[in-house]
Amino acid sequence: MNPIIDLIAVSIERTGERVVRHVDLTVIDGSWFGLIGANGSGKTSLLRALAGRLPFASGSCRIDGVEMIADRPARATHFGFSPPADTLPDALRGREVLELVGGDIETIWPRLGPLREALGLDALLDRWIGDCSAGMRQRITIALAFAQGHTRVILDEPFNWLDPVAAFDLRQALRGMVDNGLTLMTALHDLGTLAVACDAGIMLAGGNVAMELDSRLLETAAKDPQAFERQTIDQLRAASAP
Amino acid sequence: MAEERPGPGARLFRYDQRIATNAARSTFSAWHDRLIAATVLLFALAAARSWLLDRAWPIAAWTAFGAGIMIGLTASRQIAMRLAFHAFDGPLAADALCLALRRRYLIAWCAIGLTLLAIFTVIVRPSLLIASLPGYVIGAFVGHVTGNFSIAGVGGGKAGFGRMLRSWIQRPGAGIVAAAILPLSLAFTAQYLRGDALIVVAGIGTALSGLALTIVDDSSVRFQTIAGQGAWRIIGRQARGAMLFVGIAAPVCAFVFAPALAAVVAATSIATLLLMAMRTLAYRIHGKSFADFIVSILTGLLILTAFSMPIVLPFVGIAILWQLQRRSAARTWLLA
Repeated sequence: MNPIIDLIAVSIERTGERVVRHVDLTVIDGSWFGLIGANGSGKTSLLRALAGRLPFASGSCRIDGVEMIADRPARATHFGFSPPADTLPDALRGREVLELVGGDIETIWPRLGPLREALGLDALLDRWIGDCSAGMRQRITIALAFAQGHTRVILDEPFNWLDPVAAFDLRQALRGMVDNGLTLMTALHDLGTLAVACDAGIMLAGGNVAMELDSRLLETAAKDPQAFERQTIDQLRAASAP
Repeated sequence: MAEERPGPGARLFRYDQRIATNAARSTFSAWHDRLIAATVLLFALAAARSWLLDRAWPIAAWTAFGAGIMIGLTASRQIAMRLAFHAFDGPLAADALCLALRRRYLIAWCAIGLTLLAIFTVIVRPSLLIASLPGYVIGAFVGHVTGNFSIAGVGGGKAGFGRMLRSWIQRPGAGIVAAAILPLSLAFTAQYLRGDALIVVAGIGTALSGLALTIVDDSSVRFQTIAGQGAWRIIGRQARGAMLFVGIAAPVCAFVFAPALAAVVAATSIATLLLMAMRTLAYRIHGKSFADFIVSILTGLLILTAFSMPIVLPFVGIAILWQLQRRSAARTWLLA
């Protein structure tokens, strides 16, 4: 139970407004940490800041025991991160974007492991990104997060746009990789995935932690997903009520 | 910013270089596209050479110096914006946040701009190298320094006021307001200026109003394309303000001032609408930077045609729109 990410009272500002306030969280090495919350609750900002894409306004961010609150480049180097699918360049093919980020494709395949098949990447290699559907773009962005061989990866709503089969395969593949040592942080809207796949998590509401989801609670949730869903929705409603 | 960490140093540059190369190949894949581009380039070089050789050296040198500053400024601002994108949304954010790699990226693209400017200057008038290149370096430096301040807000989203203003300007009401302001301001100016001078002021006022009313937001065009909106529907929505402006301002100017002045108002408005249509169609096909580059080439072609063969201008304009529309029509968005 080795904590590799330790956030204490972190805050994030965007548009001059504080969108994440005094959030504490700890992520254990080799686990899947899920963030849930309403739209605009601060999930994406928190993940982006952790991955160096945004600055923290205050607090403490220790990664592997090293304070990195003010060091965006170090945070960006530490984590694999999937960029938003709609920002991928139309004028590159799937293979090109992967190779430009991760090196030769034969080097990238072992880093992706089961994701190669789960994401159906072979069929996307020679396709122009401009000709890809939203789901295809999403598959490429997920692969990009792993292309450089990171063992700590942050994915922002990775199941968006994917068809049910692809979403199922991806969840299985990610879970398998976590069991083999990957540390994964994801923002999610799907409570079912949170219940059955994640080891721990938090629920954000209005930039604050509204609920902590520890392993015991998630184990119970996995046994009775419907009850968990009902309870979580009630919490979300209460947290977002004016 | 941290110092450079081990890793592939030129990765960021190679990433954008490949995008630019692929986009250029795709844009000029057909022989007639290459022919148009080559013609525009030759025309532009010939026109610039002719104009600069006809001027006394000091005037030509100041022009080259000013152009160098503008080009350097634009280049460094574009590079800074691209770096901001990489650091916020790109897959190579770690590289884009590393100070040494940022510097290397900046120098590489600035050097390419400097080389192209040097080649251009050598072709049009070699003795102007002494003016254009220092101008470029000064412009690039100023752009870099000021860019560090203004780009700092990217990702932090400090563009609220600009977004609000753009949103208001795109409403039809803005066209009516602009159409009311133009004749009033011309009536005031007419107390001091007459004839051709007033027509020039009308042209400038119309151009400024038209350009403001036809601002194109590339992300908005992209979103509407994704949502399945056709090209002409997007253009029609964006043109409402400018259409109302010309629909009101031109008849009022014809009635109050002179038909010639109204004709200038109408022609200038149509030119801004044409520019807006070209930008909208180009944003459906390419990313913002490359689309702007293509539109600037096409605008150059239209200006050259207007000066050399004005009778052909409408046909060239229609041909350009048709060509862009044909390409953009292929853009679809699949949800599967």
